[in-house]
Amino acid sequence: MTTLWPIMLITFKEGIRNRAIYAISLVALMMLVANFLICGMIMQEVGKVAVDIALSAVSISGLLLVLFVGINLMAKDLDKRTIYMVLSRPISRPQYIVGKFFGMVLLIVTTTFFLSVFAVLSIFMIKLSYPHYFLRFSWPLVLLALSFITLSLILLSALSFLFASFTSSSFITLVLTMIAYIIGHSISDVYSLIQASQFADIRPAMFIVKLIQTAYYLFPNLSFFDIKMQAAHAIPLTPSYIFWTLLYGLVYSSLAIAGAAMLFRRRELP
Amino acid sequence: MIKITGISKDFKIGVGAKQVRALENLDLEVQKGEVFGFLGPNGAGKSTMMKILMNLIFPDKGSASIMGNDVRDRETRRHVGYLPENPYFYDYLTAEELLWFGGRASGLTSVAVKKRTDELLDKVNLRSARKRQLRTYSKGMVQRAGLALALVHDPEVVIFDEPMSGLDPIGRKMVGDLIVELKAGGKTVFFSSHILTDIERFCDRVGIIIRGRLRMVDRLDHLLSTSVGLEDVFMKEVVQAGGEAEA
Repeated sequence: MTTLWPIMLITFKEGIRNRAIYAISLVALMMLVANFLICGMIMQEVGKVAVDIALSAVSISGLLLVLFVGINLMAKDLDKRTIYMVLSRPISRPQYIVGKFFGMVLLIVTTTFFLSVFAVLSIFMIKLSYPHYFLRFSWPLVLLALSFITLSLILLSALSFLFASFTSSSFITLVLTMIAYIIGHSISDVYSLIQASQFADIRPAMFIVKLIQTAYYLFPNLSFFDIKMQAAHAIPLTPSYIFWTLLYGLVYSSLAIAGAAMLFRRRELP
Repeated sequence: MIKITGISKDFKIGVGAKQVRALENLDLEVQKGEVFGFLGPNGAGKSTMMKILMNLIFPDKGSASIMGNDVRDRETRRHVGYLPENPYFYDYLTAEELLWFGGRASGLTSVAVKKRTDELLDKVNLRSARKRQLRTYSKGMVQRAGLALALVHDPEVVIFDEPMSGLDPIGRKMVGDLIVELKAGGKTVFFSSHILTDIERFCDRVGIIIRGRLRMVDRLDHLLSTSVGLEDVFMKEVVQAGGEAEA
């Protein structure tokens, strides 16, 4: 930990001082302010809309953080060779990956925490203004949804580290991470469609079935973490769902980082 | 102190994977307390050799050790300070934070880092800019911050890749003074340059590398006593290497 701490801290400082983070936070805050205006205009299902917009604002800004600040933090190390200042210390490549990732986790947790405070505040203000639309509402579910968003961002960041460990440019890492994000959010639905097609007597090509099955097991199922709908409609979740989703996120992130560390171990940095 | 045995390194260039030989069967030893100048034209393999010593790239053949430890062992770097060519650091860190990182990552206590930071920032004339983010620094200031970073943990062996690059005459004098001070402190300095006067001023021994091959290693005083100057020796080796390549 004594080796990881300095890497973690400089990664966090480098990230939190990046101007892009202020732009992302500004976008999120504008969305949360817009939440008031939208809820004031629609005058139906206000509670659900307020929760949905607030959670989406945190989720979208978190995604921008991972894609445009997080990826850059590692990619710039490789592109500009700032990695030399780290690896010229008694630090191994796997330690560099883990330390860097912990710094990124700290950055994600800090940023989403502040955005979550504003999200909660916006829901609270709207709830005060229109209390009769919040008869079925649960704060614990909103907080759980915010925690799941944070965990899904950590997982996505771990994947971006895995991609950065073997790609030669930050652009390829960005594209691969975006593909993983899109597949991660849609693979569950596509897999269900393929399964259901058997009952409807539709036979998709075996190649397609195998491809989707492979993607289903290979890519993270990010839809597990998306409980915006449950939070907006106050639909309770079972403790086992919460437990397995948390475990899934932590295990998948750990495996991705372990893979990144393994690949990076033999990477040359000319 | 530094021992390089039979190091060869090829690089693959382009999609067709054309091989380019960067280093060929390089043998070299640098003794404790010695200032060794690694001289060669651009693309000769100086930086490649230094990156192998820092385990940033791996040799295809051969081995290298510093203070008796294999360079692949991360603990070896606890006693080594490295300044890369044209260093680039984190934009949003200050010089103080940069040195904090360097010191702490090398195992120094917070108190020791603070003391050493004050000393070194004074030495490289960056004390007044210590709280400024590195992105606001000029090229010479970044180079000086890099020098301080390389020395923050008081290493026994110092590897400088083109330390004078981007420095004005005052900066060059400062680096020169630093090298002299390191030598006086019994440190081993291995530095590369293609500026002959720098080599002449500070080195005990010189190695000339051309096209990945170490053409000669000799004491500087011996070289200067037997020829007109280092420039003559260097040019003779360049011409000879060119002739051999054509043949």
